[in-house]
Amino acid sequence: MVKLTMIARVTDGLPLVEGLDDGRDVPDADFYKQQVKALFKNLSRGQNEPSRMSLETGPYIFHYIIEGRVCYLTMCDRAYPKKLAFQYLEDLKNEFERVYGNQIETAGRPYAFIKFDTFMQKTKKLYQDTRTQRNIAKLNDELYEVHQIMTRNVQEVLGVGEKLDQVSQMSSRLTSESRIYADKAKDLNRQALIRKWAPVAVVLGVVFLLLWVRNKFW
Amino acid sequence: MGTENPNRPNYPLRPAATPFAAQQSTTPFLPSGPVVGSEASAFRPAPPASSQFPTPPFPTGPFVGSEAPAFRPPPSSRSNDLVRPPPSYGSPASGFQRFPTPPLTSTGQVPPPRTSLAGQAVIPPPTRPSPGPVSLLSQPQPPSVPMGTPPQSIKTGQSNPNVPLPADQHFSPSTPNSQPSSPPMGPSYAAPRGTFQPAFPGYTNTQPNSVAQAPPTQPASFPLQQGSYAPPSATPFLAQQRGYVPGPPTSTPSGLYSGNQVQQHGIAPPIATSQTLAEDFSSLSLGSVPGSFDAGLDAAALPRPLDGDVEPKSFTEMYPMNCSSRFLRLTTSGIPNSQSLASRWHLPLGAVVCPLAEAPAGEEVPVINFATTGIIRCRRCRTYVNPYVSFTDNGRKWRCNICSLLNDVPSEYFAHMDATGRRVDLDQRPELTKGSVEFIAPAEYMVRPPMPPLYFFLIDVSISAVQSGMLEVIAQTIRSCLDSLPGSTRTQIGFITYDSTIHFYNMKSSLTQPQMMVVSDLDDIFVPLPDDLLVNLSESRSVVEAFLDSLPSMFQENMNLESAFGPALKAAFMVMSQLGGKLLIFQNALPSLGVGRLRLRGDDTRVYGTDKEHMLRVPEDPFYKQMAADFTKYQIAVNVYAFSDKYTDIASLGTLAKYTGGQVYYYPSFQSSIHKDKLRHELARDLTRETAWEAVMRIRCGKGVRFTSYHGNFMLRSTDLLALPAVDCDKAYAAQLSLEETLLTTQTVYFQVALLYTSSSGERRIRVHTAAAPVVADLGEMYRLADTGAIISLFSRLAIEKTLSSKLEDARNAVQLRIVKALREYRNLYAVQHRLSGRMIYPESLKFLPLYGLALCKSTPLRGGYADAQPDERCAAGYTMMALPVKNLLKLLYPDLVRVDDYLVKMSAQAEELDNITKRLPLTAQSLDTRGLYILDDGFRFVIWFGRSISPDIMRILLGEDFVTDYSKVSLSQRDNEMSRKLMKLLDRFRESDPSYYQLCHLVRQGEQPREGFVLLTNLVEDQIGGANGYADWMMLLFRQIQQNA
Repeated sequence: MVKLTMIARVTDGLPLVEGLDDGRDVPDADFYKQQVKALFKNLSRGQNEPSRMSLETGPYIFHYIIEGRVCYLTMCDRAYPKKLAFQYLEDLKNEFERVYGNQIETAGRPYAFIKFDTFMQKTKKLYQDTRTQRNIAKLNDELYEVHQIMTRNVQEVLGVGEKLDQVSQMSSRLTSESRIYADKAKDLNRQALIRKWAPVAVVLGVVFLLLWVRNKFW
Repeated sequence: MGTENPNRPNYPLRPAATPFAAQQSTTPFLPSGPVVGSEASAFRPAPPASSQFPTPPFPTGPFVGSEAPAFRPPPSSRSNDLVRPPPSYGSPASGFQRFPTPPLTSTGQVPPPRTSLAGQAVIPPPTRPSPGPVSLLSQPQPPSVPMGTPPQSIKTGQSNPNVPLPADQHFSPSTPNSQPSSPPMGPSYAAPRGTFQPAFPGYTNTQPNSVAQAPPTQPASFPLQQGSYAPPSATPFLAQQRGYVPGPPTSTPSGLYSGNQVQQHGIAPPIATSQTLAEDFSSLSLGSVPGSFDAGLDAAALPRPLDGDVEPKSFTEMYPMNCSSRFLRLTTSGIPNSQSLASRWHLPLGAVVCPLAEAPAGEEVPVINFATTGIIRCRRCRTYVNPYVSFTDNGRKWRCNICSLLNDVPSEYFAHMDATGRRVDLDQRPELTKGSVEFIAPAEYMVRPPMPPLYFFLIDVSISAVQSGMLEVIAQTIRSCLDSLPGSTRTQIGFITYDSTIHFYNMKSSLTQPQMMVVSDLDDIFVPLPDDLLVNLSESRSVVEAFLDSLPSMFQENMNLESAFGPALKAAFMVMSQLGGKLLIFQNALPSLGVGRLRLRGDDTRVYGTDKEHMLRVPEDPFYKQMAADFTKYQIAVNVYAFSDKYTDIASLGTLAKYTGGQVYYYPSFQSSIHKDKLRHELARDLTRETAWEAVMRIRCGKGVRFTSYHGNFMLRSTDLLALPAVDCDKAYAAQLSLEETLLTTQTVYFQVALLYTSSSGERRIRVHTAAAPVVADLGEMYRLADTGAIISLFSRLAIEKTLSSKLEDARNAVQLRIVKALREYRNLYAVQHRLSGRMIYPESLKFLPLYGLALCKSTPLRGGYADAQPDERCAAGYTMMALPVKNLLKLLYPDLVRVDDYLVKMSAQAEELDNITKRLPLTAQSLDTRGLYILDDGFRFVIWFGRSISPDIMRILLGEDFVTDYSKVSLSQRDNEMSRKLMKLLDRFRESDPSYYQLCHLVRQGEQPREGFVLLTNLVEDQIGGANGYADWMMLLFRQIQQNA
């Protein structure tokens, strides 16, 4: 079941279309919408993401494709066949590019192509039921291969930036601490030297003193 | 009346000296008298000859009187005989004169005046009823030398060179006084007055120049008054007499009038050798002492808004960058600077906002897209950038005009400043030059993608709906509107019908016929289908059409009497809650089944007049308010169409509309043969007008003031955020203002109305209206800048709200009390120095306030008691008036009455003639001529009144052969003759002027009772109806109350 569909411009994360009655039967639809928006922002920061990807989130799974600087994303149940979800997105993409392909770069306001929603609803209905003849046929179509599409957890993706930050923070802490360590090591080294040779020097000193005294009085 | 000062002193004196004194004292008018006095001094020479004691004084009186139209009194008495022109006089006498503002006399004029003073004095006397002067002399006004007076005026006039005159000097001190005094005199001169002073006739000389100006204007006004009112009413004389206090003196005055009318009336005003009078005000001479004979005032002279709603102009001129008054009107454009001042302003202080008012072609609100910059707003108070912000620091910072915080200008928005401190790109930035703009909202302003326009219909199909023909009319109307629904391909539509069960319709686009599903379990409503109850119109067009075509026949045989309204409402809510939109309810009977069932109430006469009376006007079942709250939360606006001839408890049903930004339409006893056109037009307008969806509105204002309460149809989401699921151009909202700080230190207060909404095309926009208003320290200035229309609009909302918690009587009294308080305050402001004992004074800007107040008390929601209006009618009218824009409201309160038979009979029908005939008449039975044909237009309906002795030919031509039958059954339709076509054209023209409602014709013949009384006479607000006062009585009543504790 397709729960939610959104289309956004990758360059700046501007939402272009969103399904209207999406999320009707998802209890915390707003939470997932927020997640999608965070994801778009992430994408717009230009990290090199694969153009097709699936992300697990809670009981659902996001599928998205990025093409022509537009990201088409849908949220489905985990049980929903991946193959169908991507076919659905392909359908959307083809139609969207056909109708609005040349206006994407110039869109100045959010949801500029909200009219596309009508087509989206229609298409969505076609994919709603996995057991229809049409969808079974699609599932059996070997030509469309989705196995190699990576599946990751949404937290990973959303957390990627966070983790990098953590690593660099740790490494910088490491350098500064190692520098301190080096200083301390040098210091210790010197102390060890002193400790090692001090008695010898004292003994020798005493000996020379005695020799000097003997020479003087004898 | 530079003399004013002198006058006062004079006054007392006069009486003593002249016989009149007594009279004068009695008469309120005296004030003017004083002036005269001054004149008198001048005149003295002349007067001696003619005057007997009494007369002379009067003349002066008259002069004064002339100034103050009210004064006529003096003239009336004996003078009439003596004076030839009395009749003419009478006309002028009308209580009010308006002096159009006489332009200041040019300087050139001035010189003559000086010389003239003396000379004039002499001259004028002769012309006038010479007698006067003498008496005047007698009056001790010595101080005020004639000469002196003129100069004063001049001085005040400012421009006049004359000022230098010695007189001026004398008066100079007095000048201030003069102003006040003058006011009394020139009732209406208001604005202009400042310039002129009420010159005495004598003085007028100087004014000759001015005279010319003034005279014309005055005369003009006079004729009108007379023409219209006079005829029917008593002869002019009467008027005069009344006006004039019993005081006999009058004779001379009349003469004056006749002879010099111009001068006198005009005189004072026009002549106006410019005076400093800053106040504009008007006065009305009232019969004075209670107990004096008849009304004591000339009915014809009362001010009437025959030009409809006149918006104050001065304000927009002061701040040209303000948004148009279509969008925002303040009850007074002068904001009081202290709480004590505000508490002396007894009228409501606030604003009426109509954020989406239709703009005439060419004045569309510019749309601005900041795109990547983001909308420029103040960091602290979130004010939107507007023409009143100032840029500093070479354009790098801007100062918020509302909270005066210094904000950074984003680099994308930066522009250099030119030498004068203006941004160089000013002409490309409409948001910095226009008071009304629309911003495209970025994504932060959306909690969800813009919703599509959505129309959901909840239709009663019980037996009465079918039999009245309602079902057929709405099915046809909706079908014909499908093409023009806003939103092009996104529009969604859905239907539910109900009687004792609820019927859902599956309109899936792949079907050819809609599928009907019946749910009869009213206790546990469920939606039988997850989708396809609400469909995209463009896709399911054929199914929707098939449904609408078959709808009337589907229920043709339905004999069901019940109405499961509550459960149906819940079902509609379940279907719509995902998207929001507009829910149109067509209700034909009292909800009788399931939750939200209502019972018959309101037919108990005993409740009226008791403390429980208001319970009839509030919703009985909390279910409706709860539903309304849920609807608003899910962005659903409810429009209620009620049709029943029986009680349907509009009070409860209307709650749905009230809290969801909707509207109530009420068609009592709907019969498709009669009301078809009205329903069709109004439903079509409701469906096709430009609508703003899922809107919220907030009004911001500068530091020190705060909006405290809001009135209209909406739900308050937080303390100052109005939730409006749908808004359109026919909705206005009012808000009251209060001062937070004891003293305002700023010079100007700014207001900003921001409406965030989704347009039908799916764009999220913010419409911003900005206005500035000066802060004033003077109560008089507040009055001068008052806007009657806005005040009445707020008044009516407050009064209607009051009817929900107390008796009708109390609500009416509250209106009256506030008017009285306001006028008393005003009187205290000016009358003290001027002994205006017998005159009622009021600011020019509020001259229609008493009349509208009266009309409000007689309007359907507030009228009378139990028998005067059906409870449903009352509530429906109340809900309607709560949402009505100012202009429509004023028209409803004081409808247009025009006589059309002359126009119809004349063969040629040019356009300009059309304008001529649309001259409005005062709303009194005296305006109706039995040989005439009249149209009364209150914006909601036409009443066409046929006089008793109208030519049968006309009737036959207009109505066909059946004109003798019952008029309530006759419908006016175009017939194949010139006259009928003209009439229809005329009606269409009236309708076009305001398309928000359709005026259905009600034909009524004179004497056809009780219909005539019911349809027409209740609308003649100036007449006495039932226990309510007529206009003249009302004024007397107000006047007396003002006098008490004054």
